[in-house]
Amino acid sequence: MARILVADDSETILLLMRTRLEMAGHAVETACDGQEVLESIAESGMPDLLLLDAMMPRMSGIDALRELRTAGSEIPALIVSAHQNPGDADAPTDLQIDGYITKPIDFDQLLTTIAELTN
Amino acid sequence: MAVIGVARFIQQRQDFEDAIARSYQVEMAARERIVAGTGGRPARAAVAREARHRSELRDQISGDTRDTALLVAAGLIAGLTGALLLFSGLISSMRRPLEELVDAAGRLAAGDRSARVEVGGLSETAALGAAFNEMAEELEREASQRDQLDRLKDEFVLTASHELRSPLTSVQGFAELLMLERESLTPRQVETVEVILDNCRHLVRLLNDLLDLARSDAGRLAIRPEPTAVAPLVDDVVRTIRAQTDAGGQTLTENLQPGLPPIEVEPARIRQILVNLLTNAHEYCPGGASIEVTARASGAEVEISVSDDGPGIPNDQLERIFERFTRGDAGLTQRVGGTGLGLAISKSLVELHGGTIEAESTVGQGSTFRFRVPVAAGTGVQGGRAPAEAS
Repeated sequence: MARILVADDSETILLLMRTRLEMAGHAVETACDGQEVLESIAESGMPDLLLLDAMMPRMSGIDALRELRTAGSEIPALIVSAHQNPGDADAPTDLQIDGYITKPIDFDQLLTTIAELTN
Repeated sequence: MAVIGVARFIQQRQDFEDAIARSYQVEMAARERIVAGTGGRPARAAVAREARHRSELRDQISGDTRDTALLVAAGLIAGLTGALLLFSGLISSMRRPLEELVDAAGRLAAGDRSARVEVGGLSETAALGAAFNEMAEELEREASQRDQLDRLKDEFVLTASHELRSPLTSVQGFAELLMLERESLTPRQVETVEVILDNCRHLVRLLNDLLDLARSDAGRLAIRPEPTAVAPLVDDVVRTIRAQTDAGGQTLTENLQPGLPPIEVEPARIRQILVNLLTNAHEYCPGGASIEVTARASGAEVEISVSDDGPGIPNDQLERIFERFTRGDAGLTQRVGGTGLGLAISKSLVELHGGTIEAESTVGQGSTFRFRVPVAAGTGVQGGRAPAEAS
């Protein structure tokens, strides 16, 4: 089972994610913006997977991931987007992103993707 | 010149007549002296001299008249030429601004909001040009206000659908969480959660549709076409929809021409169109209806159609069927889950692919929706029913 760092600016989404991911046996840490993601990693080390919301105040998930990638990290990262199509998320093509999750979240699919990325 | 000639002629004529009259007076006075017997030779000489003088005067005046007539004629010719020159100058000085005006009006009508004319020349054409520019200015101002409103509207829909998605994710997510523990729920609670989930799915569909339309309006609905085999795509969608048509007691058949060439499309978008057309057929047709998907090559395009033998669409509704929030009567009266946006989006998507979509229906006999999308260029690969053979 994987250690997953989830970032979203909505408390209820974080609660939902934590509940569903913990039910599937994963260990979950949460952050409410990109800045907290970087702080959490600096404090307790790199998790097995990042699940980052594309749009958050202060620092977006994409900006946080960019900093990590610039620092040389290869950690698997999934971007959660409110957009229906990944192409609509205005996602940068120069950034290694391992997958897109759209809201509302299809948890069956999310759990399958997590299993693929962490094995 | 003609005026000068005529004035000179009148003056000459006056002088001549005065001279003749004086000559007659001198002659008459001389004749009176002769009759009175007081004139003698000088009086007779005066009579002869005056007669000669008048004859000279007559010769002179006829010569002057001829000269003057020539002068008048020359003057008239010169005047006419001048007038013509002036007139043609006037015409050409009006023609250029008018041509420019016609050209600018044409460009303005064709949508070039920056079309203006150079104001100058005669005061009348200058005023016309200024009035035209003022009108164009006003049109441009209105158009840019409209553009701004459109942008605001698009931004609003994009932001709203984005913002609504987060709470909706929570509602759906927690309802699903409840359903994961359904064995500890009463049947009534399960039913309640199912209603919540049903409505969540409907809201998601509405949000997705609104987002698509807003993106399409803003010119930001982009597609990434790739050579795509038709049969696997159609098979897949039909498999997805079959669960619903089976449950509704409807027959769903597939009729694909063998050896179809691959099409140049974004598979997810064609799937979206097909799901929309098939879902419509399923939802608007009663139990026992037949629904058929066909695909055939047609020139440089592949035509995919969805036909049913359902209730059909009256002509007045058929005309507006691809407009937003247009729904058939059944959609308004029965429990049909559509948003009224599906066909508008399908049309946008087909057109983004450079294709066309149309609807045909006879009330009581059924409806056919067909769209055409371009065959992948230069592949020369036959997709057909066997994608393995295609590559």
